[in-house]
Amino acid sequence: MKFAPLVLKHLRKNWIRTLSTVLAMSVCIFLICVLQTVISAVNFGLNAGSTRRLVVRDYVSLANNLPITYKQKVAAIPGVTDTCIVSWFGGVYRDPKNFFANLAVEPEAFLRIYPEVMLPPDQKAAWLSDVRGAIIGRKLAQRFGWKIGDHVQLESFIPPYRVGKPFDFLVDGIYDTDEARYPGTDLNSMYFNFKYLYEATGQRVGIGTLTAQIDDPSRAGVMSKAIDESFDNSDNPTKTETEQAFRASFVALAGNLALLLNLIGMAVAFTILLVTANTMSIAVRERQQEIAVLKTLGFSSTLVMTLILSEALLLGLMGGLLGILFARGIIAVLVNVPFLGDILRGFPGLGLSPQIAALGVGMALLLGLLAGFIPSILAYRARITEALRQV
Amino acid sequence: MATTEVAAKTGAVSVQNVRKVYYRDSQQIPVLDGLSLEVPQGEFMALMGPSGSGKTTLLNLIAGIDSATSGKVVVAGTDLTPLSEGELAKWRSRNVGFIFQFYNLIPVLNAVENVELPLLLSRLSKKERRERALTALRIVGLADRSKHYPRQLSGGQEQRVAIARAIVTDPSVLVADEPTGDLDSKSAEEILDLMQTFNKEFGKTIVMVTHDPRAASRAHTQRHLEKGVLTT
Repeated sequence: MKFAPLVLKHLRKNWIRTLSTVLAMSVCIFLICVLQTVISAVNFGLNAGSTRRLVVRDYVSLANNLPITYKQKVAAIPGVTDTCIVSWFGGVYRDPKNFFANLAVEPEAFLRIYPEVMLPPDQKAAWLSDVRGAIIGRKLAQRFGWKIGDHVQLESFIPPYRVGKPFDFLVDGIYDTDEARYPGTDLNSMYFNFKYLYEATGQRVGIGTLTAQIDDPSRAGVMSKAIDESFDNSDNPTKTETEQAFRASFVALAGNLALLLNLIGMAVAFTILLVTANTMSIAVRERQQEIAVLKTLGFSSTLVMTLILSEALLLGLMGGLLGILFARGIIAVLVNVPFLGDILRGFPGLGLSPQIAALGVGMALLLGLLAGFIPSILAYRARITEALRQV
Repeated sequence: MATTEVAAKTGAVSVQNVRKVYYRDSQQIPVLDGLSLEVPQGEFMALMGPSGSGKTTLLNLIAGIDSATSGKVVVAGTDLTPLSEGELAKWRSRNVGFIFQFYNLIPVLNAVENVELPLLLSRLSKKERRERALTALRIVGLADRSKHYPRQLSGGQEQRVAIARAIVTDPSVLVADEPTGDLDSKSAEEILDLMQTFNKEFGKTIVMVTHDPRAASRAHTQRHLEKGVLTT
């Protein structure tokens, strides 16, 4: 600690250089933290899917509906214990920027198959007995200030669901979840009775997706194949996959998203590494004479090297902490940004976690260490007589 | 280090048949050629000679910041020849004070912090370090400039701070490389007065490299080097 003032004073001397390096480092850490947060939120959402649930959809496109009769056919396949229609409604509340997921489901089956959606008994009863009823997630209720008994009108942008006027829903329940048992459960969605949609559209719509619950999660692959094979020769062949796989494909490019974001993060980190290493090299080169003096006074080469490395590490630490502060602030603000915020709200795990913050600081320290490594080795090797001769 | 300690009776500095050769690529450049020198305890010796004669090289060997190609260098009772770089660093911090021509103060530290620098390597407390540094500054007459940074001091004052830094660990040997070479005559006289004071009143052994005959005249003895050999 007694050498700390020496390190700090050097950083303060060239404060513009120090500040710009710290800012560069902080931008890098900020970016890494934000990217990792998004990746982690996406993964969190994907992993939240149950391993017992398969999603059956049209083989060609999600935009195509499956015939209603498919529900019975799938339910009859051995190993399938329950089924539920889950159709993406695409309803808009007043303005497209008020985006949130709203899905038509079969309430009884839905509550059986999705135990993470938890409702008080009275609200459950109300929803089951009300064709026009809907349940909304706690966060969605908070977002729009909706209460039980409120009427919510949504108009779908999907042509078959457009009936010339908005659908009117009555909020029968506000669902919550047990975060410990069901981490990642989405509380930003709305579910309403498929029957309402079916009747209002003149019984012309089919099934968007069909959730099939199976008895043995380890047989998910076999079951998916069995379901798809049973519709192979029909007009509407199906594509069945686990809920996790379905979500991954639904979150466009989710598979490559992490790789892409990580590559961006690594590219930025490498650039900042070069910038910081350059800064440290200049700092050490400027101080050749001073390093020689310190060694003349009795400072060992190891101590001199440690002082240079400490400077680099301190730059890294300051950049890291600043970057985390930026990231924390920006992530908090992002969810309020129009459109982007609507998408991000779909990821229940969004937020700067302590693990990602620690990763940010660790990364910053590593960058500092790497940036200071060669300059500190140069300082370690500097020969007193040669450095003094350069005066 | 105990095994390399030599009786003090050999003198403060004993350079025995030292050769120093520099290498540039494959070319050998001999700088000192079998040089021997004895500096008794409490001596103030001036080393003179033309540029390239090996004065500074000899001084560096005595200060333990360079090592001889062959021969033996004993300073303050320690044979420096077999010491590793780390051992030499530790030895320097305790036994020798170095005064440079261009002062070589650390620009980001103020006067008292510069003087305190060698004491950071000791076990002294922060308070003790500060007290000793201020005492050293008082001795060189700069107690009132303790908070001033090098850029706020004149050349003579900077050199006095550098001298305070050299004596703050109370070394028995001071080596000075052209300590007045960058100073006006008045400041040079003040610096030489100080060095004489340390020699006479504090018994410091001083080896000073200089081109200046007036500076050399302050020393007890003057030795001349020519092409790596002592001529007088």
